Amino acid sequence: MYAYDTFDHAMVNARVEEFRDQVARRLSGELTEEEFRPLRLMNGLYLQLHAYMLRVAVPYGTLNSRQMRRLAHIARKYDKGYGHFTTRQNIQYNWPKLVDAPDILAELAEVEMHAIQTSGNCIRNVTTDQFAGAAHDEVADPRATAEIIRQWSTFHPEFSFLPRKFKIAITGAPKDRAAVKWHDIGLVLKKNEAGELGVEVLVGGGMGRTPVIAKTIADFVPESEMLSYLEAILRVYNEQGRRDNKYKARIKILVEDTGTEEFKRLVEEEYEAIRASFIDVPAEEVVRIRQFFAPPPLPVLADEDAGLDALAAADFRFRAWVKNNTFAHKVPGHVSVTISLKPHGGIPGDATDAQMDLVADIAEEYSHDEVRVSHEQNLILPHVAKRDLVAIWQKLDAAGLGSANVGLLTDIIACPGLDYCALANARSIPIAQAITNRFDDLKRLEDIGQLKIKISGCINSCGHHHAGHIGILGVDRKGEENYQLLLGGSGEEDASKAAILGPGFDEHGIVDAVEKVVAAYMGERKEGETFLAAYRRLGPDVFKEAVYGAR
Amino acid sequence: MAHVDLQTGEDVAVWRILEDGALPDEAGEWLVPLGRLKDEAGSLLEEKGVRLGVLIETETPHSDLAGIGNYASFAAIRFPGFGDGRGFSLAVRLRKDYGFNGDIRAIGHVIPDQAQFLLRAGFNTSEVPEERREAFVRAVNRYKHVYQSDAQGGISILRQRHDQADTRRVS
Repeated sequence: MYAYDTFDHAMVNARVEEFRDQVARRLSGELTEEEFRPLRLMNGLYLQLHAYMLRVAVPYGTLNSRQMRRLAHIARKYDKGYGHFTTRQNIQYNWPKLVDAPDILAELAEVEMHAIQTSGNCIRNVTTDQFAGAAHDEVADPRATAEIIRQWSTFHPEFSFLPRKFKIAITGAPKDRAAVKWHDIGLVLKKNEAGELGVEVLVGGGMGRTPVIAKTIADFVPESEMLSYLEAILRVYNEQGRRDNKYKARIKILVEDTGTEEFKRLVEEEYEAIRASFIDVPAEEVVRIRQFFAPPPLPVLADEDAGLDALAAADFRFRAWVKNNTFAHKVPGHVSVTISLKPHGGIPGDATDAQMDLVADIAEEYSHDEVRVSHEQNLILPHVAKRDLVAIWQKLDAAGLGSANVGLLTDIIACPGLDYCALANARSIPIAQAITNRFDDLKRLEDIGQLKIKISGCINSCGHHHAGHIGILGVDRKGEENYQLLLGGSGEEDASKAAILGPGFDEHGIVDAVEKVVAAYMGERKEGETFLAAYRRLGPDVFKEAVYGAR
Repeated sequence: MAHVDLQTGEDVAVWRILEDGALPDEAGEWLVPLGRLKDEAGSLLEEKGVRLGVLIETETPHSDLAGIGNYASFAAIRFPGFGDGRGFSLAVRLRKDYGFNGDIRAIGHVIPDQAQFLLRAGFNTSEVPEERREAFVRAVNRYKHVYQSDAQGGISILRQRHDQADTRRVS
């Protein structure tokens, strides 16, 4: 993975000292809270319902074991012994003290991490496929491209005060595990006929109160000119994006209002004017960055392993874990392991300091020192030999990390909701807990199959409910928490917007409604048909009848 | 309110804003709104010793800036709030697309943490509340190297890594 040089170290160290100065001025009263607010937000420090919240960037979701141990240490020393992994592949601490924030950033800087641009109307952490560099279906490793974008977008002099926040996601595989169509800019790595690397550029995706699926405006931009193209998009957006209404300020609204073709014309006009200038990265720097992401030297191993087969035959939980939580690797005899942070009855995405330390230890011993965070709020060991799966599972399971539910109904994305968030209208976490308790039956979950539930506690959609096969949106209805039920969304390459099925429910009713939807699917599905495929074939009426018919 | 040179932190001479319908009544620097300047530059310049600057609001489409170097010897971009980042793109356009060589001044609401961004986007001077002058100067010198090349001759770290002979600093 990428390693900082003296330039990168100097940058984050300068940032720590700058923030230390700002915090000191705030604590002394020299800065008012109003003046301090934009400064702390530029360092990922929010003021939530009960306390400050610090959002730490995990660039493109990649960590080494030293970094993971540092995240555990911060949870232990400065927080209440846990952290929350987010849909943007970041980690949030819910209880840091303001006075400690500069020290936390200094501890992060020591391990080449930061909280830069994890908030504010700027280019946020670039996210990608959690299996990058390991996936069997990958065209190229997207992390090198993401690192180039990270550097280019850090403290950009022109694009640090955009109309609104700006999120870029990139996939290196045609199978989209990074939800690129739901981002302000989505990039799909491709090779042209000459074998050269480039990106397909999609623009104008986003969730919030106006869900929009991104549209392609360039089929192939050479990697060597990608930053010119991104700069052209950002310039047009910075100049023309709406600033009179924060709910209409995202680039999706500009693209919709301008029209995709006209927006593309504006971008291409600027791109033609600036391409092949000083903006792009020299070829030798692309080579330098790419070499950090060279695949680890994995031996080709046998696909069969006697120990694995023996335990799988004897223990259905392990069998299910191997089936659900491992993903095909480029190198025979290897897999990527997804560690589920979705124990039934637990808080989606939370991990304790001890769990983080354990994951770091396992990564060091069994996964070439690498851990990934997925946008689905799980942790990944990208490079694991199949023969090590038994040992890994036993260690994970003993620490409460053995849930075998990846991709299944209880692998729920949920935002922090009203338990923490100052913007929320309703709680998300207790809904996820109630659903996972209701469906606490692995055989039943496997029978139901691939089903993604995504829960947001307000219309800002941090829980991706628009992209859920089943989406749940918490709203405030006359002072009561009310939950809307949406069906048919997808965050993948076949992206679709989930549609509201009917009237909302209270916190108990929504769990019953989910169960009725699942029952209708089980009754109507054809052999091998997933929930999403069945919904697309059947339409909403069957489900409406199942949920509301008996009322 | 002081007005400082972003590179040196020193005060710069303050111009006057030409009120609607008024004419420059003495020599010196006068700031004129973009629309009026385009219409009246010829007559306004008849006054001996007058230097005209163009006052640009952030909502101005950049194409309105074409040819502005023919009328104005300096420009001032007015930020209604520090979050209005259009001012940065306007400065970039002035330098990059319209070859404007005069001083570009930031006026209105900007904050010390933007000082280096202003400089790198092409601004030369900024309005600064007196009590924030020191913070401004500190901020300009905060980052010795940056990740973006710019039209002011700043070379990105991504290039400097391969061009050790040329490690020009931004500030």
